[in-house]
Amino acid sequence: MRLRCGDEAFDVQVRESGGTLEARVAGRVFRFALEPAGSDVFVVRDGTHVTTLHLARDGAAIHLAWDGVAYVLAEEREGARSAPRHDPGALEAPMPGRVAAVKVAPGQRVAKGDELLVVEAMKMENALRAPRDGVVRAVHVAEGDMVAPGRALVEVE
Amino acid sequence: MPLFRKVLVANRGEIAVRVIRTCRVLGIPTVAVFSEADRTSRHVREADEAMAIGPAEARLSYLSIDRVLAAAREAGADAVHPGYGFLSQNGDFADAVRDAGLVFVGPSGDVHRRMGDKKASRRLMAGAGVPVLPGYDGDEQADDRLLAEARRVGWPLMLKPSRGGGGKGMRVVRGEDGFLEALAASRREAKAAFGDDAMVLERFVERPRHVEVQVMADGDGRVVHLGERECSVQRRHQKVVEETPSPALTPAQREALCAAGVAAARAAGYVNAGTVEFLLAPDGTFSFLEMNTRLQVEHPVTEAVTGLDLVRLQLEVAAGRPLPLAQEDVAARGHALECRLYAEDPQRDDLPSPGRVLHLSEPEGPGIRVDSGLDAGSEVTVHYDPLLSKIVTWGRGRPETIERMRDALRRTVVLGVVTNLARLRAIVEHPAFAAGELHTGFIEEHLPELTPHPCPPLEAVAAVAAALGRTGDGGGARRAVPDPWASLGPWRLGEVL
Repeated sequence: MRLRCGDEAFDVQVRESGGTLEARVAGRVFRFALEPAGSDVFVVRDGTHVTTLHLARDGAAIHLAWDGVAYVLAEEREGARSAPRHDPGALEAPMPGRVAAVKVAPGQRVAKGDELLVVEAMKMENALRAPRDGVVRAVHVAEGDMVAPGRALVEVE
Repeated sequence: MPLFRKVLVANRGEIAVRVIRTCRVLGIPTVAVFSEADRTSRHVREADEAMAIGPAEARLSYLSIDRVLAAAREAGADAVHPGYGFLSQNGDFADAVRDAGLVFVGPSGDVHRRMGDKKASRRLMAGAGVPVLPGYDGDEQADDRLLAEARRVGWPLMLKPSRGGGGKGMRVVRGEDGFLEALAASRREAKAAFGDDAMVLERFVERPRHVEVQVMADGDGRVVHLGERECSVQRRHQKVVEETPSPALTPAQREALCAAGVAAARAAGYVNAGTVEFLLAPDGTFSFLEMNTRLQVEHPVTEAVTGLDLVRLQLEVAAGRPLPLAQEDVAARGHALECRLYAEDPQRDDLPSPGRVLHLSEPEGPGIRVDSGLDAGSEVTVHYDPLLSKIVTWGRGRPETIERMRDALRRTVVLGVVTNLARLRAIVEHPAFAAGELHTGFIEEHLPELTPHPCPPLEAVAAVAAALGRTGDGGGARRAVPDPWASLGPWRLGEVL
């Protein structure tokens, strides 16, 4: 199984061995027992040492808390190719929100760091800035649009 | 005989739940209002009645005076509690509620307007002997006049829009070069955000602390203070951790600060619960910042040390009763700390992070209180404030309070929505926090140590892989019905790995 955390990938092999789980990851071997303890909760035993694992899945996103600290991993399915690197000049919505302002138009020349548009979520305005010098090739959204994370907003070439 | 026939709570989330709780204790029936996004939210379920007031967008629901008021009339409420945020400091709303023959649980529209104007409130406070920073709060706003006043005030100084808040349009200017440019930018932002570009100039204080005084006033002119709170741990002018008493004040300073808070409330002609915010300079001098004409987010720390229920006091005063206590009846015991749990990602520059709560564990134990508007299954949407819940601990002293907070945070689990929980843990475990070395730039100053690691330790990755194998590929760990594989016990392994 391959789990991703940002740019890091972890290949994990798990097998049972004499009543204990054995997991190999990044050249290390962990031996433990795992018991479900209600919905989304597991008890992980290493000898008498006990750690609580909270685990919930949302599509490919694996939300977990280990010893009370939360993380998000992504499960990479076998055969699935990693997502193609997106065009570095394309600006995507970093989070869901509402487009509060569009400050550029196609054809406009922009410098790296110029404010292109403003996305508002949870009362906070987030300015999206030009990733490099260039010309605005396309603007895919208008003021007032609701956008989902990853949606292409503006392209700069 | 209850204080009111029925109270409409014009808010959502944890504060609506909080207000409903006290109404229930007092035997007052409550009406919740909800937007389309909040149909099944906790505040709706805890109220006696609930009325739809519009779409998810706040402007058309929680911020619509007409819709909230229509709901209050239709429900037969005789009082409206505004909570904080939304319409709570809107003078027109306070007036409209009163004009409709209902009681607004808060001060009058005039008081909201008076204190919502920084120029006017600064002049009012200075006139009442409440210390203000050297600055300019005049009505003449021409650029050259402001430049002349800026030279008089001295550098560095702070440019502040006279209306508004939340840090919008505020700028530090360190010298005459760039003043006019900064002024133009601040004015643009203020005009866009608040519809008014009048500015106030104030001497800038380096490494200030934020302290504030909780006041309570009744309709007969009685004013008491309920001590101070320190809210120096902030991020982008947003409070993150608050406590009382402030570790920075000597008893003499505390007495002077609280007396200034009372003087400010009197000068404002204040009625009901309010908070007078001050900036505390490293040399120990304090100056008036602004007055918040509503219940504060961080009011539970005051409740923890005084044993008072501030919402109850608000309702009593609003019902025309005299304050049930005099200054000498107010006694604070121990220490209290509040951490605000936000749906923000500290690894991505505190970007808001909406989502669905897949799992929620809230802490409990001696000296722990959680004010939450959240459930497992709640949808945290982009439409509202990112505050999810507040974790409050009380202890005999500051060290015990911090220890309890560390444990409370360790036992809080939110899955599905990225929160600032790891940052909160890092703050209360930081040696500078333990030493009480706070200032409003605390988080920026210690940012590397306060930014959590994105990836789990390898043993956690190993356990996750094993657990995912256990629960099978398709259903996932979050299915409500226990996975049949899980019930086979710890030693049965799936072969899906």
